[in-house]
Amino acid sequence: MRRRRTILSIAPIALAAVVLSGCAAGGAEGAAGEAEVSEDALVVYNAQHEQLTEEWVEAFTEETGIEVVLRHGSDSELANQLVAEGDASQADVFLTENSPAMSLVENAGLFAPVDEATLALVPEQYRPSSGLWTGIAARSTVFVYNPELLDESELPTSLTELADPSWKGRWGAAPGGADFQAIVSAVLELTGTQATQTWLDGMHENAEIYQNNIATMKAVNAGEVPGGVIYHYYWYRDQDGTRENSANTKLHYFGNGDPGAFVSVSGGGVLKAGAHQDEAQQFLAFLAGEQGQTILGEGYSFEYPVSSGIPAKAPLPALDTLNAPLVDPSTLNGPEVIDLMTNAGLL
Amino acid sequence: MLIPVGYVVATAVGLGWNELAPLVFRPRVGELLTNTVLLLVIGVPATIALGVGGAWLVERTDLPARRFFSVLLVAPLAIPAFVSSYGWASAIPSINGLWGGVLVSTLAYFPLVYLPALATIRGLDPALEESARSLGLGPWAVFARVILPQLRLAILGGGLIVAMHLLAEYGAFAFIRFDTFTTAIVVAYQSTFAGPSAASLGVVLAALCLVLLVVEAGARGRARYARVGAGSPHPPVLARLGRARPVAVAALVALGIASTVVPLTNVVRWLGAADASALTELPAAITQTVLLASGGALGAILVALPVAWLAARHPGRVSRALEAPYYLASSLPAIIVALALVTVTLQFVPAIYQTVVTVMAAYVVIFLPRALVPLRAGIAQVPESLEEAARSLGSSPLITRLRVTAPLIMPAMAAGAALVALGAANELTATLLLAPTGTRTLATQFWSAASAIDYPGAAPSAVLLVLLSIPAVALMFSHARGGRIR
Amino acid sequence: MILSVSGVSKTFGRTPVLDDISLEVPQGSRTAIVGASGSGKSTLLRLIAGFERPDTGRILLGDRALAAPGSSVPAHRRGIGYVAQDGALFPHLTVADNIAFGLPRGRSRAGRVREVMQLAALDPALADRLPHQLSGGQQQRVALARALAPRPGVILLDEPFSALDTGLREQTRRAVIDALERTGTTAVLVTHDQEEALSFGDAIGVMVDGRLAQAGDPAAVFDAPSSAQIAAFLGPALLLPARAHDGVAECALGAVAVRHDLSDGATSVVAMVRPAQVRVDVEAADPSAIVHAVRSIGAMAEVSLLAGGSDPVVVDLAVPLHGLGALRPGSRVALRIEGGAVLYPAEGLQAGDLAPHAVKAG
Repeated sequence: MRRRRTILSIAPIALAAVVLSGCAAGGAEGAAGEAEVSEDALVVYNAQHEQLTEEWVEAFTEETGIEVVLRHGSDSELANQLVAEGDASQADVFLTENSPAMSLVENAGLFAPVDEATLALVPEQYRPSSGLWTGIAARSTVFVYNPELLDESELPTSLTELADPSWKGRWGAAPGGADFQAIVSAVLELTGTQATQTWLDGMHENAEIYQNNIATMKAVNAGEVPGGVIYHYYWYRDQDGTRENSANTKLHYFGNGDPGAFVSVSGGGVLKAGAHQDEAQQFLAFLAGEQGQTILGEGYSFEYPVSSGIPAKAPLPALDTLNAPLVDPSTLNGPEVIDLMTNAGLL
Repeated sequence: MLIPVGYVVATAVGLGWNELAPLVFRPRVGELLTNTVLLLVIGVPATIALGVGGAWLVERTDLPARRFFSVLLVAPLAIPAFVSSYGWASAIPSINGLWGGVLVSTLAYFPLVYLPALATIRGLDPALEESARSLGLGPWAVFARVILPQLRLAILGGGLIVAMHLLAEYGAFAFIRFDTFTTAIVVAYQSTFAGPSAASLGVVLAALCLVLLVVEAGARGRARYARVGAGSPHPPVLARLGRARPVAVAALVALGIASTVVPLTNVVRWLGAADASALTELPAAITQTVLLASGGALGAILVALPVAWLAARHPGRVSRALEAPYYLASSLPAIIVALALVTVTLQFVPAIYQTVVTVMAAYVVIFLPRALVPLRAGIAQVPESLEEAARSLGSSPLITRLRVTAPLIMPAMAAGAALVALGAANELTATLLLAPTGTRTLATQFWSAASAIDYPGAAPSAVLLVLLSIPAVALMFSHARGGRIR
Repeated sequence: MILSVSGVSKTFGRTPVLDDISLEVPQGSRTAIVGASGSGKSTLLRLIAGFERPDTGRILLGDRALAAPGSSVPAHRRGIGYVAQDGALFPHLTVADNIAFGLPRGRSRAGRVREVMQLAALDPALADRLPHQLSGGQQQRVALARALAPRPGVILLDEPFSALDTGLREQTRRAVIDALERTGTTAVLVTHDQEEALSFGDAIGVMVDGRLAQAGDPAAVFDAPSSAQIAAFLGPALLLPARAHDGVAECALGAVAVRHDLSDGATSVVAMVRPAQVRVDVEAADPSAIVHAVRSIGAMAEVSLLAGGSDPVVVDLAVPLHGLGALRPGSRVALRIEGGAVLYPAEGLQAGDLAPHAVKAG
């Protein structure tokens, strides 16, 4: 008897649930309308850090009154998505953390040339000669290590050394991310296909695999692994904040033009199929200009400004003191890196 | 329904054997296969043991505080697997690999076996157990020889759902560095979008799902649905646990701590450290989550109804053949479903690309079995004689469905809708990929903070996801405890 | 309006279930269809209700074709009431709502519900109860009331009493017959219970293996079953090999007058006698049987006799306890048959159909 009463007591709830979900279906359409790009808003496919881009967008909207909506993703994901979407894409601007994704979109012929005035703000080494996109920020490869587990004398002198059997299980990285893939593209550019494949095979043997740079740094900090290959700004951000994930670690810069000293250029470009060409160019000019670069130089991000002569945020070492290898950002080959890493079993 | 399966097949065919073979037959796929198979082989029996053992303890033994434990055992369902994993990863940062994966997923998914087992045990006629006792069987023997065999369908059904979840789970495993096919597909997707390596992994995963479906169908044999009897005409005699009683209590308490207390205390701990500015985007995320989830639930129920009807009323080869692609499609990870929909909408219906319609379609594909299973059982339990009686009283078939069948299957519909809504609210990859630009749900908010190891930033979304899940879980729980007809 | 079924056949898959059934049910009459389980009687009812379609044949209500080759009126437009075996009450509706289910919305609704509840001898206080709060007998009467409420032309009852306890069954059956009688509703009942069928109403049909083997007035059918099998199905029957001549059948019970000769001139015949026709004469001068065993069963005693000469057959009779008198095992008695025997051809009968022979004691 009690059981049957339960059914009856559920019935009104159930009914309410169905009625509610009915309303929801209608509501979802409404929400879609809301969430959907209002006609005037600039659509930015953003692979940069969400927080950094949000800082940029806030300042840009305040300055120009142009609304911006963001679609977040990772470098290669969004680049490939843009290629798949082709002319159907709603995207106006594409921002990345690294340059291989920019090359991918450039090679698909989807970019409109960047305004000359904008290009003029950016030194030549931080933008492709094609002028189809421009660098907007830069980051340096570093080796983060736990001094309790790794003496200063034991530090690797070159990134390539990490493929030696002596490093088995002693370093970590996040090969699934675009960041590390950009580093590999530098290795490829500097050492060639054969050597890169060998190095990646060694890495597959040696490296502990993490989800991303922060997870790698956190593992080094926790002593799970003695060292890791990451980008510099994760460490500086954490040091500037709670130090929760980096208090027990130090940074080692490879320098000497080593692939491990690779400085990766973050890019921005205007999609030629976008409906807001002028606004898009304005946005790019804003990023490369004084205001956008100042946000890098003073904001939370600790990434390197690349244009308009804005200095890096203290205590970052100046970009030109890092002895980075000379690599043309537009020559980095993303797809081949993916193939090599897939062959090595890292993907 | 066939779109995702078709997509995988078409991509594989498009690649051709020469390009596909090296992508499939490589050491990395072997590693993933080993990981995934081990996860299934260890995780599925573990969830079955916990789910069935728990249901028996709270229903048929003299365990103290049975009501409390019966709720405790369903509680993990309100905690999304990735939140649970985040709780564990922040409690024990070094947790990783296969055993971490087994731990986290078993603790998150055993209620999926517990609920059907609970419903079945409650429906068993205690007279059977009493007869067995009078024939000289002890409590353990009664459990093993009388109760367990009658749970076969509940175990197989629950086990299949757990297995499908294990195959498709991404977030929970990403936190603890455990690679399965699905995590590898997501990584491949992030590296190449809809590239060949993601598709080739998808082919292997789809094959794995097919094997599971065949194994389950074989094990189920001719039996179709758990026939729920007239219920207990009198309260069952409870098995005395005797000296095992404190052990059982300790085990259940430990299970509760591991599955519920550890994740929740960590989430709450981080909530304390959360920045107030993290809260500003939450109201919009809550609205969008609720609307998307309930819209998905409605869509799934609408699509599931005719299929469930066919399966319950006209079981046979046709209806089974019809059901199979649903299970196959939904066992593919959300990312593949999403990629398939991206490809198809871009190519054929660009008008619905990146709109709510596509997100709903993805939810329906991914979560349909969650609606199908309870609906099918609910329809099977409505005697056809009731519909005939209504028709002899002058109700047309449609009016009969509305006046008689619909009210009677309402509890099953609500339970199914709750399950779908729960899944949709926690869905991550398809939402990210398909939703209109600018959409933010609690799950995507949680993920963007948590994957940047911003634990405090992720906590508010996690807490809200748990809170939003509670009514749905309560509904499913009461359905399992009592929602059946005559 | 006459309900008429003509030439109806139905096959499920490859299994023939109904074979060329024809039946007429006059307006206001009650017909019972009786048959063993699997004889197809429920299927016949479901065809009339419209839940299934016949493969061949027609079903007419008055001059309206309910089912004919190529056309079928759907169940809900037939105006035929149906009471299922378990009542099939809607578990989510109260008694009153169940009964009102088939009534059009309107003011007269509540009145009609009260009316039919009274008709079905249901306490008005039950109106707000849910089905599970009723006894089995009450549930069946609610089901009847629900079926009667829209004033259907015909009402079909599918073994409506079989799930009830013996006492309740009788009481419910009377209430149902009473309600049908008072409303003058045409009714068709299917049952496997012969007594129920014979006492239900104006006509009876006997179904055997998907065929309507015999139909007609219940008393006439019971008096002259058209075959030995039907005779045995309708009630206890002694089937005895016999030799017939001049209106007399010579069998183990002696010479018995022939009431109906249905042997159709067969050379080998059996005589069918109901045990109730047998009178036991204790003090007869010419005993022809010997009492083998006596067993008391309440008000009656079951007396087992060995009758006939060298190869006696066993005859089991029920005798009122007070009439038992001096009957003891070993008593020698004479048997008189009242009302005569019915003759059937022996062909086609199995040894097991016949009255058993006594096992010769060593």
